[in-house]
Amino acid sequence: MMNKRTPLQSVILYTLVLALVIFCVFPFLQILSTSLKHPIDWGNPSLIPRILHLDAYKELLGLMPAKEIDVPASIQRLLDNPALSAEKKQMLLAKFSSGGDVFPFGRYMLNTFVISFITGICSTFLASLAAYAIARLRFPAQSLMANGVLFVYMVGGVLLMVPLYQMSVNVGLASSAGGTIFSLFLIYLIQTLPVAMYMLGNYFRTIPFSLEEAAMMDGCSRVEAFWRIIMPLSKPMLFTVFIYCFVIAWNEYLFASVFLKQYQDFHTLPLALQTLFTSKNAIWDRIMAASMLTLLPVIICFMLANRHLSGGLTDGGVKG
Amino acid sequence: MSSVLIKNESRLGLKLVAPAVGIIGLLVIYPILFNLYLSFFDVQLNGNKTFVGLDNYTQLLGNPRYYHSVGVSVIYLIGTVIGTTVLGLAAAILMNQTFRFRNLARGLILLPYFAPVISVVFGWQFIFDPVNGIYNHVVVDVLNLTNERENLIGNPDSALFVVILFDIWKHFPIAYLLFLAKLQSVPKDLYEAAAIDGQNPWGRFWHVTLPELKFVIATVVLLRVIWNLNRFEDVYLLAPNVETLPIFTYYQAFAGIVDQGAAAAISVIQLLVLVGLIWLYVRKVLKW
Repeated sequence: MMNKRTPLQSVILYTLVLALVIFCVFPFLQILSTSLKHPIDWGNPSLIPRILHLDAYKELLGLMPAKEIDVPASIQRLLDNPALSAEKKQMLLAKFSSGGDVFPFGRYMLNTFVISFITGICSTFLASLAAYAIARLRFPAQSLMANGVLFVYMVGGVLLMVPLYQMSVNVGLASSAGGTIFSLFLIYLIQTLPVAMYMLGNYFRTIPFSLEEAAMMDGCSRVEAFWRIIMPLSKPMLFTVFIYCFVIAWNEYLFASVFLKQYQDFHTLPLALQTLFTSKNAIWDRIMAASMLTLLPVIICFMLANRHLSGGLTDGGVKG
Repeated sequence: MSSVLIKNESRLGLKLVAPAVGIIGLLVIYPILFNLYLSFFDVQLNGNKTFVGLDNYTQLLGNPRYYHSVGVSVIYLIGTVIGTTVLGLAAAILMNQTFRFRNLARGLILLPYFAPVISVVFGWQFIFDPVNGIYNHVVVDVLNLTNERENLIGNPDSALFVVILFDIWKHFPIAYLLFLAKLQSVPKDLYEAAAIDGQNPWGRFWHVTLPELKFVIATVVLLRVIWNLNRFEDVYLLAPNVETLPIFTYYQAFAGIVDQGAAAAISVIQLLVLVGLIWLYVRKVLKW
């Protein structure tokens, strides 16, 4: 066997591993640390906040008590005037509590969750049908389709943004919020379908054919065999593929920015965060807290799916 | 098998692929052709178009900004492809050793790859922030390399290198995964034989590891080129002033003076390059 490591070699090994891990994790620690820092603490290079400052999270999650509104003394006198109706007072107050300051994070998160979830479900379902057919059945143009999937996956979104946008304009989908969201859903479907088909196809090939054969001998039809044998056996992989598609849609920015720009109520998180960052009331702690909250679901998904994800991605080595 | 069974099987197969293939055909294949068609028109955002023949192409080929973005893309590609491949390989060799907490380390180094671009770019922007960032703190206050705090991301020239570093950070894990999978399948006795022949670790790397990994390295390099040629979000969200080809296309299509026909023309040219690369990948790598 290989000779045992000398102490020096061990030190070098652990140093290198540590350096690599720090390189990978540092930006995440930076985000976490800044999200917890008070603005006066930002210039402090240490990652550990001097005072724990949770306001940014509270604000994003809507846990902040309503802000005291600064009202000039003259207006305050007006407000104190009992002759003024309550309605008028509200209108006056509204002028001073600028609405632009509110960032409906919960709403954006819900938008993103809904579209990503539906994309994940539809994509995994359609891909499992197609992948099974390509992996197991013989039909015309089968190998063309198997190779076509690869090709399609490598055509990036940037190359399709103009024609897809023009198509949705021509069909009239781009003129309503509902139609725009539907276009976006279809686009997320094609961004996830090829990789889902690819991962599932590889997985189905590893299931012994004799299992289906036995089921069919027992009187199952082909479809029943697929539904009762293959699908239950593939549950972990189906889940992994679902997570993968979910995360792709969750992270997508390009098409969201092209299609949703004018429908602010339907912004997804990447678009909303970018808008928040470029707006004038960008504040580091708020941005970082929003980043952290966007990151969290992905990290949870990743931990749930990690075991199968690494293998599913590298078998054949396509995704980049 | 009887011909009825074969017929049934092929009918079922077609039925099962129909939805997926239909959607892909409608939303990938058709748009590629539609894009070619659009590239011969002057196209407005509202869908109005007038035929202009080859004007989009001739204007594009006479536009210095186009060549500039091609140049930026080339630097970006060279930097990121070499960076991800080398770091991915080094990480794979490192993580293939046995040590304590190896599983934890293997999990942690995958984080950059899965994290949403939009979240991590803010972390990176903060690191390089001229006022608060740790980069300027270390370079100016601790090491005293320069006297002035620099805004690396604000300046397009230096931002390109930050973007390259960011891309390496974000995408080396996938290269690492591919290399690690292959390394684990290299037979141990090859290393033992090399050790008996008197090869030191470096020699074993050079004479055993590299030849065994040759195909995977080729795969990684080619796939990085293909993917990074289309890379948009990582560059645009971190430093919108770094104008690689996809960013240039985006600006043409959706910002400032909108010229979707020109954007379509850029995409057509880029697609031709891409098809060449994919062809190379399928022919030379997959069927090696």
